Amino acid sequence: MATDNTDPTAEYRKNQSWLYDSKAGGYVRKTAIGLLTLVIGVFVLFPLYWMVVTAFKTTSEIQQIPPTVFPVNPSLEGFRLVIESSIQAGGYAGLVNDLFGITVTSAIDINLLGLIVNSLKVAVGAGLIAVVLGTGASYVLSRREFRGKNLLMSLLLASLMFPGTAIMVPEWELISTLGLFNTHLALILIYGAMTAPFVVWLMKGFFDDFPDSIIEASQVDQCTPFETFWYVLVPMARNSLIASFIFAFLLAWNELVFALTLLDNSKFTVPPGLLTFVQGFNTQWNVVAAASIIVSIPVLAGLAYIQRYFVQGLTGGAIKG
Amino acid sequence: MTHLELDSVKKVYGDPEKDGVVAVNDLDIDVPDGDFLVLLGPSGCGKTTTLRMIGGLEDPTEGEVRFDGTVVNDVKARNRDVAMVFQDFALYPHMTVRENLGFGLRRENNDMTNAEINDRVTEVAEMLEIEELLNNKPAQLSGGQKQRVALGRAIIREPRLFLFDEPLANLDAKLRKTMRTEIDELQSEVGITSAYVTHNQEEAMTIADKIAILNDGELQQLGTPDQVFNEPANLFVAQFVGSPDMNLFQGALSERGDSYRIEMDATSFDIPKRLVDTEINTEEVLVGFRPQDLYQARTRATDGPEFDTRVRVVEPVGTEAIVHGTSALGDVTAKVGRFHDLEPEDQMELTIAPEHVYLFDPTTEALLKGRLVTERADGEASADSVEA
Repeated sequence: MATDNTDPTAEYRKNQSWLYDSKAGGYVRKTAIGLLTLVIGVFVLFPLYWMVVTAFKTTSEIQQIPPTVFPVNPSLEGFRLVIESSIQAGGYAGLVNDLFGITVTSAIDINLLGLIVNSLKVAVGAGLIAVVLGTGASYVLSRREFRGKNLLMSLLLASLMFPGTAIMVPEWELISTLGLFNTHLALILIYGAMTAPFVVWLMKGFFDDFPDSIIEASQVDQCTPFETFWYVLVPMARNSLIASFIFAFLLAWNELVFALTLLDNSKFTVPPGLLTFVQGFNTQWNVVAAASIIVSIPVLAGLAYIQRYFVQGLTGGAIKG
Repeated sequence: MTHLELDSVKKVYGDPEKDGVVAVNDLDIDVPDGDFLVLLGPSGCGKTTTLRMIGGLEDPTEGEVRFDGTVVNDVKARNRDVAMVFQDFALYPHMTVRENLGFGLRRENNDMTNAEINDRVTEVAEMLEIEELLNNKPAQLSGGQKQRVALGRAIIREPRLFLFDEPLANLDAKLRKTMRTEIDELQSEVGITSAYVTHNQEEAMTIADKIAILNDGELQQLGTPDQVFNEPANLFVAQFVGSPDMNLFQGALSERGDSYRIEMDATSFDIPKRLVDTEINTEEVLVGFRPQDLYQARTRATDGPEFDTRVRVVEPVGTEAIVHGTSALGDVTAKVGRFHDLEPEDQMELTIAPEHVYLFDPTTEALLKGRLVTERADGEASADSVEA
């Protein structure tokens, strides 16, 4: 190292080039990565942004060409209509009149709260079915050797690859044979069955990595197989179970096609319910957007709370004692 | 309090008729009530499989495992009332130390109330000096603390049998020694029959009442630590037990009156027949010298062989040193005192007393003559003290 400086400390300070990426290529690369991130971010987030600003626009501003990127006259009109409609359709109009002396009348007849309750019912039910069945199945598939095990796992994987609509007709036949047409139970069963294979694969990964010695320790601690499962495996699998539940829950919460075909207006869940706001040329897009925001709030709040378990559950298979 | 017996136990992994792997073959072990059995052997010798068969975590392919004379082959692990300490401790990570300790008691049908279980947990925690850790999760504990909790989980139930599967393998050297002593003390205190698996012969020698040495699934020897050290059944046991390794050399044997004459490459010596229990019919023998039994001829005279050795390496271990050297017999390892003036390339003369010499049959590898225990009286010819 050619140097005119004999003091080692000064030389060390001077020679810190390794701390920085000083080549031109480095900056180009970083800029390119930054730009790409920005483009993807805008691509993903723009629809959400558009939904939010639409909710705060008036009907006339929405139909304006060229559209405004930010509401010129922010208005809560959309939210007012959604809430009024929900109060009226939910049968609370009289109550509100008595309490606040406000007379609520609405041209739209959709009960948002009812939709949310229906969706929660279906999504929680489907989540529970998927988690209970999927976890039990994956425990057996991971811990026991039997013939046809790999075939079974492959079948479960293949079932995940079918689009739901492909089995629409047989499902419809099945539901009407069971006499479950226009019931929430039908949706719970279908969504549960659709997500259980995913849960099996996720939980099997967890059980495969589970240390044998802990299970054996519980055996010498006099646990029956069920006690081992219940007192040892399930508490340790908590994060994976939560991740599985959220996955099943979200699928059921978002699913439109089955809900639309198997239910009628009175029992609609959120996705088909929101669709009824869309009425050809008369669609009040600010109402649709406001309703969408309102139904997202409970899910967002719940997810924000358990998000850390979700990420841990998906990524962390291995267990540290 | 259990008398443990293994009777012709065999374990085959895979199909016994086709290409199954024999892990344990025809194993007979008898452990009296309250004894500490150590299963010792190299990796893959079947010692852990044996332990797991005792615990009910594996089913024997053939043979019987008996507790107090009752065959327990078909009794599930949870009904055998054994406690096991695992190599990786296997604590329940989601439970606190208190819950870990109490878990076994809670699963048992024992009519214990919560308060009784808590008292018992506290008692055991005090015994193991972990009472201040009771509310911690295993992830917050050090290796030694985890080990104590694992031990506590085993002793809390007062089982019929303790099973230890290399419990010290994951600890550092110092902790290993203290825990070894603690396990030994604890077992003597509670007096519960124990089986302990290790590949560490030093651990086995210090802790065991009886050692079972296994190799390739076959029992080589079952005996007290003294027996396996002084009278190893065969060459394998002799080489596996004792540290540093035994020196082995070729020799030719001939009878000469009331003694055997042993001719080796650079030296020859006599072994009086009264030191040999067995009839020796072979002319070739393998001669074994334990490094501990070799002396420098300048410090001690013996009736045994003397041979010159060129020092290669001196490894001081406190008051003695392990010296690796080259002699006309081959490479030699000796553990000697008075080593401070020894340097590499120095010559030293080594000697060994005839009663300390091991002889093996080179074809069957069976022991012909073991090591006779005599006091190490410095400066005095040890053969004389035998005659006295």
